[in-house]
Amino acid sequence: MNTIKLYLRSMAILMKCQFQYPVSFFLQTIGQLVMEGGEFLAVLLIVDRFDTLHQWTPGNLYFFFGMMSVSFYLTECFGRGVTGNFPNMVRTGQLDTVLLRPRGVLTQVLCSAIDPRRITCIAIGSAALVLGSRLSQVQWTWWKGLLLIEAIGMSMFLILGLFLIEAIFCIYSVKSVEMVNALTYGGRSACQYPVDIYPRPLRTLFSAAVPFAMTLHVPAACILDRSLYGWPSWTAFVSPLSGLVFFTAVYLAFRKAILHYRSTGS
Amino acid sequence: MRYIEVKGLSKTFTVRKRKEKGQLFREKTKVRALDSVSFSVEQGELVGYIGPNGAGKSTTVKILSGILTPDSGEVFVGGRIPWKERREHAAHIGVVFGQRSQLWWDVPILDSYVLLRDIYCLREDAWKKRLDELTERLELGNLLRTPLRLLSLGQRMRAELCGSLLHCPELLFLDEPTIGLDAVSKLALRDFLHEENQKNRTTILLTTHDMEDVAALCSRVMVLGHGNLLYDGALPELLSKYDRVRMIRIRYEDHAELGGLPERCAVSREGQDYLIRYEPSKVPTAWLLSELQKAGSIRELTAQQQNIDHMIAAMYREMDL
Repeated sequence: MNTIKLYLRSMAILMKCQFQYPVSFFLQTIGQLVMEGGEFLAVLLIVDRFDTLHQWTPGNLYFFFGMMSVSFYLTECFGRGVTGNFPNMVRTGQLDTVLLRPRGVLTQVLCSAIDPRRITCIAIGSAALVLGSRLSQVQWTWWKGLLLIEAIGMSMFLILGLFLIEAIFCIYSVKSVEMVNALTYGGRSACQYPVDIYPRPLRTLFSAAVPFAMTLHVPAACILDRSLYGWPSWTAFVSPLSGLVFFTAVYLAFRKAILHYRSTGS
Repeated sequence: MRYIEVKGLSKTFTVRKRKEKGQLFREKTKVRALDSVSFSVEQGELVGYIGPNGAGKSTTVKILSGILTPDSGEVFVGGRIPWKERREHAAHIGVVFGQRSQLWWDVPILDSYVLLRDIYCLREDAWKKRLDELTERLELGNLLRTPLRLLSLGQRMRAELCGSLLHCPELLFLDEPTIGLDAVSKLALRDFLHEENQKNRTTILLTTHDMEDVAALCSRVMVLGHGNLLYDGALPELLSKYDRVRMIRIRYEDHAELGGLPERCAVSREGQDYLIRYEPSKVPTAWLLSELQKAGSIRELTAQQQNIDHMIAAMYREMDL
């Protein structure tokens, strides 16, 4: 309860800081709109050439794109502390300050930043979701709504877990995080399409190791009244939990890694 | 009651050097920042922790405050092992880094204090009372609504101190708190620290290069060099060993002939003044004075003890630091 209060107060203060420079904020938000809008346009243009891709109609594909986009940018918006601030904190020794306070490291890192510019990306993702569900003629029920929220929430955990892996690499002063980047950004690009269009190795990667298929595609297919792997529909409620499992495992490793933090000279 | 208990504390850092041309692997060197350091500090003590740059002072402070994990050794601070019970420990200590800000850069300092209240889970009334007390003693009253980045260095230091004391810590680490401060701010800060130590029995560990700070505040000093504790005791006793040189500043009415002084007296000119450094144990003062009188008619003469920094420099030289 206390942590939530602290988080909300931190966010309020950070927003105040952001709006000290309104023009910059506005321009950057526009920039994001162009970027993510372009991405969606690319998907529209590609998908337009096919009637179906495997079992998926263009509407289905927009829906998948929207789910990934919303989960990813929500994580980037609220997880800015992990994605953006943390490497700098380690490099400059500012993490000292975090360690000197009687709160969890991850809590404080998450409290240290927010990226409201992502709001436009999230808006485009939501638009793709709505468009996709209209074209696919989804009959919305309360449990489908619940499933959508669960899928997005668990995917956020998964993505945050991926960013945490990068953070762990930072602590061991390894600068080359490209390998992990391939998983985060590569995973996002690849998994905005349903995973069954890919060959087996990639399918295995995104089902077992970095389970985007479990957190996003299985429930999305269920909402679209289809099935990804031919599993019964109740599995769609269970499989997203793998995102939480993934996050927990990485988080435990992160806590171990913090003990190896070396600080900087002063 | 022993508040800090340190036994055989060691920490080694691996430093990677940049690759030279033609080298396949980067060279790694091990640096022993701390080599089996042991000491203890009583509750309510005000201890100075000195040593040249790179002696391991900051490393000690970082281990004692729970930021770093040591390689070996036992540490108990207030009965806790800092790096194992980090969160519990953090609630009971305060740390001020002279070179690093711990408050939020872009927001008014009052907002920072509100956040700290939430971080430390302080009760509203206790927090308010403490804040009022600290703002009055540190003269922060009309700065509370100013963002940290707009404060001067002296003001910022006071703001940082206030932030680190809001939760009434039992132990306060100060890492070069007076660095870059003007004389007035320095004196005010010293008074404040002394009062805090007396009034609340706060144990204070002061790391500094400013020997005036140590002389004015600390009843006890610890000297660290090359990762070893070289001295632990009162400052006057430490200095008496190195307090050998005296200085005479002398001005003559007109021309003076100082050629007759022995080589062991170092003579230098500073404007119209002559500065003579000598060791009373080797050159008797009475003899030196009579020589000076013979040299011309004296207008002014002051005898001085050597600057404390010179003594410390002599000490570091002798200890081969």
